[in-house]
Order: sequence, then structure tokens, then C-alpha cells
Amino acid sequence: MMLAATIPTYTWSQALADLGQISPIATLTGFMLFAIVTDLVIPIKRRSGVVAMVAVVGLSYSLGTAVYRWLYAQGGPAYSGMATGDSFALFFDILFAGLGILTVAISHSYLQKRGMREGEFHILMLAAVIGMMVLASATSLVTVFLGLELLSIALYVASGFARDDSRSQEAAAKYLLVGGFASAFVLYGMALIYGASGTTLLPDIAKQVSTLSPTNPLLILGVVLMGVGFAFKVSAAPFHMWTPDVYQGAPIPVTAFMSVGTKAAAFAMIVRVFAGGLPHLAPEWQALLAFVAATSMIVGNLTAITQSSLKRLLAYSGIAQAGYVLIGVIAGGKAGLAAVLYYLFVYMFMNFGAFAVVTLLAGPDGDRDRISDLSGLYKRNWPMAVLMTVFMLSLAGFPPTVGFFGKLFLFTAGVSAGYTWLVVVAVLMSVVSVYYYVRVLIPVWSTTTRAEPLRASISSTSAIALSGVLSVVLGLYPTSLLIAAQLGAGPLSP
Amino acid sequence: MTLTSIWLLPLIGAVLIAFMPPRFAKWMGVLVALVSLGIAAGVALAFAPGFHGYQFTEQVPWIPQLHVFYHLGVDGISIWLVLLNALLTVIAVLATPVTMKNVNRFIGLLLAMSAGMAGVFLAVDLVLFYVFWEAMLIPAYFLLWLFGEGERPARAAIKFVLYTLAGSLLMLVGVIGEYVFTGQQTFDLAKLATIPVSSASIQFGLFFVFAIAFAIKVPLFPFHAWLPDAYMAAPTPMLVIFAGVMGKTGAYGMLRILVPLFPNPVLWWDWRWVIPALAVAAIIWGALMAIAQRDMKLLVAYSSVSHMGFIVLGIFAYNVQGQQGAILQMVNHGIIIPALFLFVAWIADRTGTRDRSALAGLAPRMPVLAGVFTIVVLAALGLPGLNSFVGEFMTLLGAWERAPVLAVIGAVGLVLAPVYMLRMFQGAMHGEPAGPRPSGDIYAGQLALVSPLIILMFAIGLYPYVLTQLMTSVAQVGLYR
Repeated sequence: MMLAATIPTYTWSQALADLGQISPIATLTGFMLFAIVTDLVIPIKRRSGVVAMVAVVGLSYSLGTAVYRWLYAQGGPAYSGMATGDSFALFFDILFAGLGILTVAISHSYLQKRGMREGEFHILMLAAVIGMMVLASATSLVTVFLGLELLSIALYVASGFARDDSRSQEAAAKYLLVGGFASAFVLYGMALIYGASGTTLLPDIAKQVSTLSPTNPLLILGVVLMGVGFAFKVSAAPFHMWTPDVYQGAPIPVTAFMSVGTKAAAFAMIVRVFAGGLPHLAPEWQALLAFVAATSMIVGNLTAITQSSLKRLLAYSGIAQAGYVLIGVIAGGKAGLAAVLYYLFVYMFMNFGAFAVVTLLAGPDGDRDRISDLSGLYKRNWPMAVLMTVFMLSLAGFPPTVGFFGKLFLFTAGVSAGYTWLVVVAVLMSVVSVYYYVRVLIPVWSTTTRAEPLRASISSTSAIALSGVLSVVLGLYPTSLLIAAQLGAGPLSP
Repeated sequence: MTLTSIWLLPLIGAVLIAFMPPRFAKWMGVLVALVSLGIAAGVALAFAPGFHGYQFTEQVPWIPQLHVFYHLGVDGISIWLVLLNALLTVIAVLATPVTMKNVNRFIGLLLAMSAGMAGVFLAVDLVLFYVFWEAMLIPAYFLLWLFGEGERPARAAIKFVLYTLAGSLLMLVGVIGEYVFTGQQTFDLAKLATIPVSSASIQFGLFFVFAIAFAIKVPLFPFHAWLPDAYMAAPTPMLVIFAGVMGKTGAYGMLRILVPLFPNPVLWWDWRWVIPALAVAAIIWGALMAIAQRDMKLLVAYSSVSHMGFIVLGIFAYNVQGQQGAILQMVNHGIIIPALFLFVAWIADRTGTRDRSALAGLAPRMPVLAGVFTIVVLAALGLPGLNSFVGEFMTLLGAWERAPVLAVIGAVGLVLAPVYMLRMFQGAMHGEPAGPRPSGDIYAGQLALVSPLIILMFAIGLYPYVLTQLMTSVAQVGLYR
């Protein structure tokens, strides 16, 4: 009798409401289980195509659910405050589901070309997407960690998916070790924060921390340790060492997916935990992140210059881009977080598109990712040459592509928040970045003798073309996406 | 929609022509450029000289969250440059040989670049200005790299882009700074001109980043290292608008942004003196470098550095004569430089060399070319009665009013101009015939191509009143509030 009085009752209607809040995640989980069953049941010949279809349908369904909830449903906390279905979570759900669809679209022909087992691959991608969505919805340190591990473990396996390629194996091992290390950092930091505040729920932590002295060693140490772990996950310098090796070793569709997805998910986590849970320690984590941002921009851009492998070049470019996005996180507020969300969303198209073009070059024996492998692309497949040009110009931040507007919003937020020095570092390093992005274009447009046509499957072509078109359209007309980003940033910017 | 069509039409034309069969490309390009010129001329004819402020304005919200507007307008400064750009685009497309490889893409890129430059002159919103400013780099880069001459056009192209971007990305900080530090949260150039940043040190910081960007583009003396390489690599039809208009975007930026938005950039000392000092240095340095060149294309390129110095000197005289002279001189230089480059290219085409010391006595063998070239050379060195004289005189007059020493040193450039120009002309045209024998005189078509420029040289030289009258109101009201 005593127990019944103290334990709150959990009614069916409450259960349904909670499930509704996380319905994009729930539907995708259902489809993933269905995909596993399909992979077991369907005869081996037809298996791969069917699992790919299940994955695409599941991701589309999840995307549709998220859009529906964005438009019509009231987001709020679920499962006693462990998770939430607010607009911030939904914004990222849409991003991740879209990314998942693009990944499945480019990986189908790639996997067939390289003779890999397709079913498992798509199931791993679905699991990773679910992990990312959990991260974006998490409002408790426990859920944050759950999402982080779900995402990471799926990607450890996916990095080593080319089982007969030793570099892929090496990438998986490295990623596992460094990723585990980073997770440990995050977990330790979380433990200290929990020790100081006595709760794992982020809103409650915010309340508790406001009553504590900001010089409390537990809090400071917790912030630093979590910050280090997060920096590992967004691949920001000086914690970026794993990125080039893992990006180079992993099969390209995995790299493409990781370069956008992991980064976006990790940023969602940083914003949730730092801006949502520890606003009172803002000076501390802002200083830490400002250092990390400046280092990332400098190290990433300068190191990218000397790369001859496209995957490594894009890895270093990704490190630099993480630095730009951190400016928005540091600036904070509605403008800063909206800029972060806008940038992450458009980064999906430009960066994924660039990787997707490299995917097309792959042969049965392995990836062809040297810059010189692009030579004559214009003669081999001119739409891909045009699209690659758009992606590179966008990553370099040329108007009228999305890359420019993303930077404009991030830098405006940065200057408004008083971080002009960081913005100056960012623009100086952007000049450096133009050199290596444009260097990629030289082989693309060179007129060489090698001109065997480059075939691309319909699904790959349409995924890349969609990315290219959106890389320009969302720049020429940024308003709608920016409004969405502001709505998404709403729950975390008072 | 009128002003929009001035830049959008060439851009649409560019995309269509790039994917057309090469044999239609040139005439489609001419058509597009002519229609665009017609619209620009219509705007100029309907332009109301007495009106203070922007005319034909179009204003649509673009990014409301940041108060960015798609805001176009013309005033007494920009209308001339828009016209110049449209006219030179027609000439550039006409000057393109149809036998060129991938001529459709070349003309497409030319038109795209022209569209970007038109946008720079038309934009009244700082972000829009910046978008056009950077967007025009992309076609310029591809033109230099894919169609460039010389040994390593790719190198010249990337050097040009990196130099320009180093300035213009810093300018992006300035653009954002104007939005934040004026406290007005607007990018509207007309509004920003009425509310300068209050803090002198911030004003200096913003002045500095804009000044660097424009100084590189002009280019001003220590920032000109990209110019010889880029001009040497650029194919002649591209040079017509590259040298004729793109350099003017920098000078235009100074006049439109640096002067009105930062009336008092004083930190440690008054930085309004630094730029005229650099301008004078550019006048002298460019002239001396031009004297030292044997390659006529390079000689003309360096003469351009010298002439652009006069324009900047006039702008930073901070008085009506100087700025009026600068605007006039922008137009003049835009008329003379393309003609000079065209003639050098034709001489090189007929004789196979651009080395002025290898040529002699061409005049009797190519009388028509020699005759017309005389007019261009005399205009370039500022002979009274031709267009350049009035502009240079006014800029020096303005500079004298600010500080006589600037005008005196600047005038040395006027003395040096005949040295390099006449040495080139006399050496190549007169004297005992020597060196390679020219394969013939210029064609009638080529003569027709430069005839509008020649007519303008006389027209502006003899009757500059029309232009200056329209500019006066702007220089007095627009820039001095």
C-alpha cells in the first residue's frame, strides 16, 4: 500500500502521449526490426534491394512523422523528463531522416559494385540514425549517453564494413578505441555533474547549478571533461586525430554519413547539455569551446592544404567546419543557435554531396579517392562536374550558395555576441580554405585524354542532384529554413 | 524589374548560351548584351538628374530575420558604371573569335561576370553588394583558368582569387560589423551613411577591413601583385571587361562605402591620409613599372595601375571636384584601357610579337591601325581635347585643394605617362621598318568594334559637361549629407 502511494501510476494515455513525443524514433525502430526480419526471411538474391526499400520507407515514414508533428503537434517532455519531442528534436529528426535517405540512395549501387552484404549495411545505418535521433531528443544525461553509444557502436561496425580491406579494419579499430575513450570522458564528466547537482535531468541540473557557486570544482571538472568528449565527437581540434584515418579507411558512404550525421548529432548534444543544462556555467564552457573552435579552424584548414586524398581533405575540411559551427554555439541565444541549426542542415547537402560524387568513382577493388582520380570528370559525366563545383564553392563559402549564407548567419551571431576575434580568425582561415577547395576543381575541369564515361545509378544521381539544387536554392531563399531553424532553436534559447 | 533585368538577363543568357551549340553562341551573346545595353540606356535616358538619392529602386525583403533586402537603385555615380559595363560587355562578346574552342562556355562566363559586376553597381544593400562582389569572382576565376594564356593560367587565376578573397572575406566582417556596431540593425547603404559608428576605434577597424578589400581590387600600390599575372593570363575579350570594369568595382566601393560610411576613421593618426598617399605611390610606381616593360600587354597593365591611382586620389580628396573627377575618370579609364588592350592584341596577332623593342615602322604597313591607335594613345596620356584630360585635371584639382603636395607628386605621373606611352607607340609604329612583317592591317569589323570607344573619347573630351552635371548633385548631396 505504501508503494502504491509513492510510485506514480503510469496510465495508458500517458504511455501513448510519451510514445507520441518520440514517434519519429519509435517508427524508425519498428522499421529497423522489420528490416532485420526481412533480411533473415527473404531469399538471398532479392534480399538487398528489399532491405534497401524497407530502409527508405522507414526513413520516409519517420521523416513524415516528424514533419507532421512539427506542423500540428505540441512538443513536450516525455518519460518523466528523460526525453522530449520539442521542435529542437524534431528539427534534427528531419535532418537525420533526410540524411539516412540520401545515404541509402548512394550506397545501393556502391555496395553492389564492391560486392558487400547490403542488408546489414542498411540496418546499421538505421541504427545509427536512431541513435542520432535519441541524442537530439535527450533531456537527461542518461538518455544522452544512450543515444551516443547507440550511434557510435553502429558506426564502429559500419567503418569496418569492408571486411577484406585492411584499411577499413584499421579505421574501425581506431574509431572504436578513440570513440570509447571519448565516451569515457563524457561519462566521467556526467558523473561529476550528477555528483554536484544530484540529478540527471537537464532542466533540473540547470535549476540546481544556479544555486551552486560556479567555482565548484566538481562542476568545472565536469564541464571540461564533457567538453573534451564532445570535441572528440564533433572532430574538433585538438581532439581530431582520429578523423582523417577513420574517414579514409571507412567505405565512402559511411564516411559521407558520418561526416554530416555524427557532427550534427554531436552538436545537438553539445547544445542540449551546455546551453540547455548548464546555462549558468556559460563563461566556462564558452571559453573552452572558443579555444577549441579557433584551434579547429586553424589546424583543419592548414592541414587540408597538403592532402592528396579527397577523403582526408574533406575530413580536415570537416574539422575546420566544426570550428565555424562552434562560433554559433558560443554566441548562443536565438540568433546563434538558429545559425547553428541552419548551417548543420545545409552542411548535410554540400558535404554529403561532395562525398557522394567521390562514391561514384569507386571501383570493385576499392575506393578511388585521390584528387587526381577526379581528372576529366567534366568529360566523363558533366552534370557531376557541375554539381561537384557547386559543392566545393559552397564549402568554400561563395555566394550565392548555402555555404555563404550559413557563414553569414554564424558570423553575424558571433560578432553580435562580442566574439569578433573568433570571426576574424574564421574569415582568415576561410581564405586558406578556398585554396584547397578550388584545387579539387582543377582536375574536375581539366581536359585530359582519359574520358571513359562515368555511369551513375538513378538513385545516386537524384540524391546528388537534389543536394546540389538545395545547396543553391536554400541560399537564394534562406528565409523558410531560417524560420524553421529559429523555431528549432526556440526551446533552448530563453 | 527594370534594374533586375540589367543583371538577370545576362545571367540567364549566360546559362543558356553555355549549353548551346558553339556556332550560335556569339550572336546570341551579342543579342543578350545588346538588349541589356538597351535597358541600361533606357534607364539612363529616363534618369532624373536633379533628384537626390536612388532612382528606379526595387526593394523586396530577402532575409527578414537579418533585415536584408533585395534592394537595387541607381544614382549619378552608378548609372555611368552600369552603362559602361553594358557597353563593354557588347564589345567583349563581339571581340570573341568564333573559332575559339568552347566559345559557348567562354561567352557564357563573360556574360555571367558582367552580370555580377552590374549587380555590384546596382546593389543598395550591403549584403547584396557583397553577394555580387564575390559571385563575380567565380566566372572570372574560370575564365582566367580555363581560357587563360601564358604558361600557367591556373596559377594566375588562383593568385587572383586568393588575393581578392583575402580582402573581401575581411570585408564580410566589416559588413557584419556595420550591422552590429551602428546599433541600427540595417544593411541599407543609404541609411548607414546617415549613422556612422560612434566609436572612433571601431570606425577605424571597419574602415580598415573595407579599405583593404577595395585596395586589393583597384589595385592600390602595395596590393597590386596579382594584377600583372592576371592581366597577362587573361584573354583579350575578357580583358575588355576585366580591366575595363572590374577594377572600377573597387573604386566604386571606396566612393560608395568608405567615404560616406566612415567619415572619421581616426585611431593613432588620421587614416584618411594613408589611402591618398598610397594612391600617389601607385601613380608613380605603376608609371615606372610601365616604363620598364618591353611586353606591351604588361606595359598597358602597369599603366592601368598608374591610372587607377588618379581615381583613388580623386575619391580621397574629400571634395566635389576630386570625386567628380574620379567618377569621370572611372568611365574614361574604362573606355581607354579596353581599346589599348585590343590594339596590343591586334598588333600581336598581325606580327606575332608583343615585344615593343622587336617592332618598328609598322605605321606605313598598317596605316589604319596606326591612325586609330594614335588617338587611343593620346587619350591615354591625357591630351587636352580627349576624355582623360578632364578627369585627371579634376582629380588633381581636388587633390590640390586637400593638400598641394599630393597633387604635385601625382602630376609627376602625368609627366611619366607620355614617356611609356609614346615610347611604345613611336618605337613600334615609326622609324625604319624592322622586325616581323605584319600580315595586314586591321579589318573593318575590328575598326567598327573600337569606333564607339573612339567616339566616346572625343565626346567626353570635348563636352564633359553632360556627365559632370549629373554627378555634381550626387557628389554634393549623396556623399556629404
